[in-house]
Amino acid sequence: MTVAAGIGYVLLALGPSLSLFVAVISKKPFLILTLLSSTLVWLISLIVLSGVWRAFLPLETTAWWPYGILILTSVVFQEGIRVVFWRVYKRLEDMLDAFADRVAKPRLFLTDKMQIALAGGLGHGLAHAVFFCISLLTPAFGPATYYVEKCSQIPFFLVSAIIALAFVTIHTFSMVIAFNGYAEKNRLDQLFVPIVHLVAGMMTLINLATGGCIVGIPLLYFMAMLTLLYCGQMVWKRLTENQSRH
Amino acid sequence: MDGGSILESIGVEIIGVMSPVSICMLLVVLLVSSLSSPSSITSSSIRTAANLVYLETPSDSTTQKLQGALLNALVFVLIITAVTFLLVLLYYYKFTNFLKNYMRFSAFFVLGTMGGSIFLALIQHFSIPIDSITCFILLFNFTIVGVLSVFSNGVPILLRQGYMVALGIIVAAWFTSLPEWTTWVLLVALALYDLVAVLAPGGPLKILVELASSREDELPALVYEARPTVSRNREGSSLGLLVGGVSESSSVELQVVARENDTVGDSEHRVIQIGEDGISREGETSPTVNNGRERRSSSTESSEYSVDVSGDRNRQHNSHVGSEIAVDEERAPLVEMLGYREGTERGGSETSGVIATRGIKLGLGDFVFYSVLVGRAAMYDLMTVYACYLAIISGLGCTLILLAVCRHALPALPISIILGVVFYFLTRLLMEPFVVGTSTNLMMF
Repeated sequence: MTVAAGIGYVLLALGPSLSLFVAVISKKPFLILTLLSSTLVWLISLIVLSGVWRAFLPLETTAWWPYGILILTSVVFQEGIRVVFWRVYKRLEDMLDAFADRVAKPRLFLTDKMQIALAGGLGHGLAHAVFFCISLLTPAFGPATYYVEKCSQIPFFLVSAIIALAFVTIHTFSMVIAFNGYAEKNRLDQLFVPIVHLVAGMMTLINLATGGCIVGIPLLYFMAMLTLLYCGQMVWKRLTENQSRH
Repeated sequence: MDGGSILESIGVEIIGVMSPVSICMLLVVLLVSSLSSPSSITSSSIRTAANLVYLETPSDSTTQKLQGALLNALVFVLIITAVTFLLVLLYYYKFTNFLKNYMRFSAFFVLGTMGGSIFLALIQHFSIPIDSITCFILLFNFTIVGVLSVFSNGVPILLRQGYMVALGIIVAAWFTSLPEWTTWVLLVALALYDLVAVLAPGGPLKILVELASSREDELPALVYEARPTVSRNREGSSLGLLVGGVSESSSVELQVVARENDTVGDSEHRVIQIGEDGISREGETSPTVNNGRERRSSSTESSEYSVDVSGDRNRQHNSHVGSEIAVDEERAPLVEMLGYREGTERGGSETSGVIATRGIKLGLGDFVFYSVLVGRAAMYDLMTVYACYLAIISGLGCTLILLAVCRHALPALPISIILGVVFYFLTRLLMEPFVVGTSTNLMMF
């Protein structure tokens, strides 16, 4: 993989996040801090998971179900982390509001809350892309590239960048959905997020079959689009409601 | 969209510190990963104050390495302590001018020789076509501007910040040539030393900082100032959420002693002593507010390190002059919280909890050792770099918040370094096999 290809893959995986970062996050220091802490939380969850699974790896079998269990536990654990993250955020929101009162500034707007959720989600997505895609990419600069046996049509790095992009999208916007669901106590939103995450994770199991990535990746992108649309529709609804209330 | 939102004002100062640290770490990682790959074998024989006792070789057993590394770290910390006390003594007897000039001199040498050799390595590595005269003139100008910008007041703050980061990068890049075990033990030892020197009664940095604040004087040290480069109205300081307005400044003092003893053969001895005490706290004149609103919650944190980097550079450059340059550099990052009102800038109408802050200052020592950790991690793999970066940055954030909460002198190194080391080993031992195993099967979640 040459340097040009490497940069291309990085931009493929992180380009949308980068523009989101520049456009929304980078102007507000608090959002950057949220992003960093959420990235750290995701990293910690990954370390804990790998600590648990370290004893069983590498999986020798060719059967798919151990991987299924792995993904199931990982997703369940990470969704648990998301609830914790929400609790912490809730506290923080109260503190922020109290602080805003003290300095005679307006409290958090609805858009502010959504931006915080977006930054949190982007942190998760960023951590995913960095650890699953970029960190494998960067040591591999050189004249050759790498193909996986099961997906021999496309270079491995390209596939992982494409998958990472889908997951970045899912992570980013499902955090917005989840926070909104928790705030509104909307059962549907609360359930939507783990289900999407789990389904998307399970879809990567298709890649275990030979040539499975041809099928798996479009399905994954379907989930990403679903998340995006759902999030967009939900945000639109909230904003118009909010507007009409004033 | 939400112009008045408090999201924009909270955390400005933290970001103001984090971004230069990030830049410094990024550049060190780039430098290390671009330079170390081809020349990783050649730079192994460097002897510095950090490995005076024991030179690590890959063939040694683990216990040997551990013992040697511990001894190295012990000696190193002892040297630092001695130099720090010397510095405190000098400061106590008001040799301020001497200290300043000493620091100028050492900044000159750090930029000129250590920086020069790094530039040389870069030029060689990327085979940049440049003749020696041009290179020398450029280097000389770079160095002179650096010396001027670090210590005088008339220089744009951006330039000064840039040179601070450059100094950090250069020193950190030198440190990464230490052997692996020594580096890790040394980092932990320095973190512990930092803790003691700042917090323990009678710790040298504590004395230094108290002395400086009782004299209302500048600290004789090199610090990075995160003052806003553009004047912006800073109502409601960002830390104020937790802090009620505290600015932290830390200063670092960099002292470089270079001596050359001929270990190889020839009879050239030069003894160069570089001491560098940069004071970059210019804004800290006593607050102009006269009424009771002036509030000074000054807690200072300082830490000081000294390092002896002695490289046999003549071995590299010309073979028959054997010389060793020992660069002893001592830095004291001092984090000092001075929260007070800038009465001139702000109308008197503030609510009680908010105090204008002058911006956070971070010691150059913190820059260097954060970057050393990340640079060392970069020699293994980049996954560890990302993990260490996150750990260090969050440690820094924790330190800042703690500082704001305790209003008390806190060392900036321990939390970050300990987190960084822990994350490095966790990532290396646990996470990497897991992530590589799953993602080469194209499984992600």
